[in-house]
Amino acid sequence: MPPGLDALKHIVVLMMENRSFDHMLGSLKAVNPLIDGVDGTQWNPDTQGNQVFVKPLAEFQGQLDPDPDHAFPAVDQQIFNGDQSNPRVASMKGFVQNYFQQQQDLAHSQKIMYYFTQEQLPVLTALATNFAVFNRWFASIPGPTLCNRAFAHYGTSFGQVGMSVFYPHGKSIYERLQDAGHTAKLYYFDQQSSSLEVVNLLQHQPQLFATYSQFIADCKSGILSDFSFIEPNYSDHDNDDGAQIASDQHPDHNVQAGELYIASVYNAIHSNPALWASTALLVVYDEHGGIFDHVPPPSCIKDGHSAGPADTGLNYTFEFDRLGVRVPAILISPWVPKGTVVGTDRVFEHASIPNTVTKHFIGPYPAANPREQAAQTFLDLLSLPAMRTDSVVFST
Amino acid sequence: MSDAGHKKAKPASKRGPTAAKQAASLLPGDYTSIRVPIPPSSAFDKNRPAGCLLQAQVRHFHHAESARLPKEKRDGRRPEDIHTEAEAATYIAKITKLLHPQGYKKSKRKPSS
Repeated sequence: MPPGLDALKHIVVLMMENRSFDHMLGSLKAVNPLIDGVDGTQWNPDTQGNQVFVKPLAEFQGQLDPDPDHAFPAVDQQIFNGDQSNPRVASMKGFVQNYFQQQQDLAHSQKIMYYFTQEQLPVLTALATNFAVFNRWFASIPGPTLCNRAFAHYGTSFGQVGMSVFYPHGKSIYERLQDAGHTAKLYYFDQQSSSLEVVNLLQHQPQLFATYSQFIADCKSGILSDFSFIEPNYSDHDNDDGAQIASDQHPDHNVQAGELYIASVYNAIHSNPALWASTALLVVYDEHGGIFDHVPPPSCIKDGHSAGPADTGLNYTFEFDRLGVRVPAILISPWVPKGTVVGTDRVFEHASIPNTVTKHFIGPYPAANPREQAAQTFLDLLSLPAMRTDSVVFST
Repeated sequence: MSDAGHKKAKPASKRGPTAAKQAASLLPGDYTSIRVPIPPSSAFDKNRPAGCLLQAQVRHFHHAESARLPKEKRDGRRPEDIHTEAEAATYIAKITKLLHPQGYKKSKRKPSS
């Protein structure tokens, strides 16, 4: 076994909110042409037929207001731009026209094509260029948050394409690990923000949960679980420690606050040498939030579920055979070669998380659905024969 | 790219902020220190209308509350009664405390004014 995998004791996943790959990491194409980002030639038509090109004019807050629509029908338009042919072509040309529908404001609709510069996002930029950035990590569903996050926890959304309450009827990655004698923890920011995994996990398995302050303490003492999933702060609110700014980067929350949170998670692991040497941290986003990306989502193996027109809001049944829009994903470990770019020939999605974690800690798991079992795993990226001695540290 | 430079670990007298100090003291090898800007105070607005994600989270907590608590112990608010991020946070905290009481640890620090 490669020494990085031999040394690996902990996998940590931090899942952020609602930003596309091009929007957050697209500017890195100028740093490294292997990164499949933007170069100014990508465009969408607006409602008057003008070509709206991508521009490095994204702002930290106040720009994407109203929150871009990312429900299933909206994402369908963003990807296919109304194409009704059979088979349909995923042109990725519907983002501007879809955003126009929310305010009927031509100039404002064009802002859906804006992206951040490297200088605006020092944390993501440093992590993406110092560790491994995925050219092809997609949301699992062309739809909103909760069904996408379900793929990270269960390897499926059990036929859900929306935000409704549902009870999963399969084991989460946390339950699988516990059944196999391993440890797992979901960390939420604080009780005011809590977890998005309410209906099943928090309600029925509260022992799986802890708060972010506990994560910091666990990193300091080195008693991290085998698998940890971290949620950001989903709201601006007060707690006993004072004002807490939302850190999830969901529009219209401040993007810089999310950068600080990512840095904090990284620093907590990095500052404990034993933990740093034995941990792989995945920073990933749940879905694109309705924001432009130029890469068409590929088809995928079905997970055995389907969602009819009553659920999709469209005139067809979705067979869970196509992924969602591309999202930022970065794998961090001192065993990953500096500047790794995971190529366009490898497609990942959120089911890659339970598949990777299961295979590493448990081994083969026949009960997983076909989609999860087929999902690419990512620990082969820990490929160095010796641990790196260079790293980054974030400070304020 | 924001980059304070590639450097060897400095002597203690010349180290920067806390996180960088800790790294320098604990880790061998080279590290690059990167400064992360803090958002302006104006970025915080707890009276911002609760967005779609928070509204969905509130609905899920309302479902859990209805499933777990007898009527007389429930909060009484409906999801449509909750409008701002602060209101969502208060409601969510109340139900989370019931579902995960061990998650609450009173801070030893005084809240900022």
